[in-house]
Amino acid sequence: MEAKVIAKQDISAWLSSLAEKMEVLAPVEDGGVIRYRPLGEGEMNLNFSGPAKSLRDHFTPETETLFRYKYEGLKAELEESPAEEHDRLIFGARACDAAALKYVDAVYSMVEPRDEPYFARRERTTIVGLFCNNPAWSCFCTEVGNFLTNPQEMDAGLTDIGDKYYAEAYTAKGEELLSAAQFEPAGAEDAAAVEKVKQKALSRLPAKGAHEEACLSYNWDSPIFPELAEKCLGCGVCAYSCPTCHCFDIQECAQGKKGSRFRCWDTCQFEKFTLMGHGHNPRPSKKERTRQRVFHKFKYSIERYKMLGCVGCGRCISACPVNIDIHAVVAELEKPAPASEGVNNE
Amino acid sequence: MSMEQVLREKAKELLSSGKVKVVIGYGEGSIPIKSTPIFVKTPEQADCLVLNPTCTNNLTVYLPQAVKSGPVAVVAKPCEVKNIVELVKENQIKREDVTVIAVSTPGILNDAALAEFDLLDVKKISWKADGVAVTTSQGDTVIPRDAAFQKKCLSCTAAQPAIADIKIGDWAERAPLQDKFADVEEYEKLSAEEKRAFWAGQFSKCIRCYACRQACPGCYCNECFVDKNGQIWASKDTGAESNWFFHMTRMMHTAGRCTGCGECERACPMGIPLSLMGKKMSLLVKELFGTQPGESMEDAPVFGCYQTNDPDPCPE
Repeated sequence: MEAKVIAKQDISAWLSSLAEKMEVLAPVEDGGVIRYRPLGEGEMNLNFSGPAKSLRDHFTPETETLFRYKYEGLKAELEESPAEEHDRLIFGARACDAAALKYVDAVYSMVEPRDEPYFARRERTTIVGLFCNNPAWSCFCTEVGNFLTNPQEMDAGLTDIGDKYYAEAYTAKGEELLSAAQFEPAGAEDAAAVEKVKQKALSRLPAKGAHEEACLSYNWDSPIFPELAEKCLGCGVCAYSCPTCHCFDIQECAQGKKGSRFRCWDTCQFEKFTLMGHGHNPRPSKKERTRQRVFHKFKYSIERYKMLGCVGCGRCISACPVNIDIHAVVAELEKPAPASEGVNNE
Repeated sequence: MSMEQVLREKAKELLSSGKVKVVIGYGEGSIPIKSTPIFVKTPEQADCLVLNPTCTNNLTVYLPQAVKSGPVAVVAKPCEVKNIVELVKENQIKREDVTVIAVSTPGILNDAALAEFDLLDVKKISWKADGVAVTTSQGDTVIPRDAAFQKKCLSCTAAQPAIADIKIGDWAERAPLQDKFADVEEYEKLSAEEKRAFWAGQFSKCIRCYACRQACPGCYCNECFVDKNGQIWASKDTGAESNWFFHMTRMMHTAGRCTGCGECERACPMGIPLSLMGKKMSLLVKELFGTQPGESMEDAPVFGCYQTNDPDPCPE
């Protein structure tokens, strides 16, 4: 399908017409943080520089009830949570966050049966991306992928070219969206404007790295992890703001003869994450836990899924209260070992 | 000598004399707009220590763990010295195990002050007489004090610290630029219903990452009340009731101990104004008990000691 354009002033009308058919989520600023909220709840803000809160919570909610139960005597009733039934559109998704969904898909379909609640939400959600004009200082998506030039998991993508957005469709759903009245065919000068804006964005980002190969030989005993362990607060913000993180805990909410079982976010950065029933914890200190984060995002993801688990969104870097920078950590891990260090350089 | 140079000299002396095993201070971050906590163990490494307006972390959070490996020196700003006082009073660290390097700075940068700058182009951030200078490829821009500094710094009087082994910086008492409890006083004008609605809205954003707790020097429990597995009275879900319970309980646990360092709010990824709660509790403690945490080694910890004439206001 040919590219289109939509005037900025027509965005509201377009989104409102979509909101008649499905729930529309758009970026809204609150307390200095951008969140995706239902259209109308707060003023839409499309001028955020760098990553907003990721899309993760719309597919893997922070708390999700799995089933409810009640019992009387020996008779028990079980009520499964209904499958996701309503359609949704997420407007203004970042390329890194959309691409991250491909990784999370791989995790949640790793074994049979796949995670149906997750995939129901995936199938019922349309994603319209908004490409970054002004990547944040912590962004490095181009080092781990090429999502700005080769977008993944988006149905359509918009680029801000001044008083209008340039729009491209990547799927049939996207094509349908862009056939709305507010869109007009794009002209040559629009395409040229996009090129200019993209080049400017790319000039602020690093070149493609070779993490896919380099991560396979990360040093388990690297001295960087004891160093990180000293300053890491174990606060979990890196994981909770990460678009590819996906771990959860399963807990119970019981009240006498009725209750529910739910899952909620969890993170390998918490001390109790790997605490076993018999009292042993294979990751007893922050040395093991910080290593786990880095190794999982790079080495283990390549080994298991043949793709990196990091999309370079940089949130963990800008959100870390102690300035632990995963980008700098992998650069350190990938430095060639000094010549004086023994014969076996593995 | 600049404050930074004095700090490095003192650190070298402490380490080469063997008085301490580690100096906990600030080092250069991964980009000039940031600094990061560093753990300096040799006199040579002391040259990595920096002191500039980006030095925001409350390093006292590391003390209870750090002293287990031997005596420690820590760089502490006036608000943070108060945390050390409380940690000693609560028997988490022994006074003789910590060398307090009390540093009085003009103020610490408020991240929002950099909103108009291209952060990749910032080369340096430094103190100037009337504020903070941000150096970019275009030269220096000075942000005036009341726009540059964090709220807590604007209300700082740099009052003499209750404990200090080494003092660096200008410890002359200064008039605060803002009242410490100004935002609490605004908040107190709300009705009970408005206050409830305000916090309900804020807690609906909470994702229970516990960054507030981890960043807090007062939260040093080996097992936090929310981390007990499978308990019924506190749940791990992020529903309204559960979030209220976590935050209200944490506030009760830190009441009388919170020094208003603001690390909780800075760590929060969701922009919840947590230090407002801490300051409100602090004001209540001041009104009921007449003390503020960390101002004296002699004051008994408010909730750690029982006096028969403790105030016990009953609601009517």
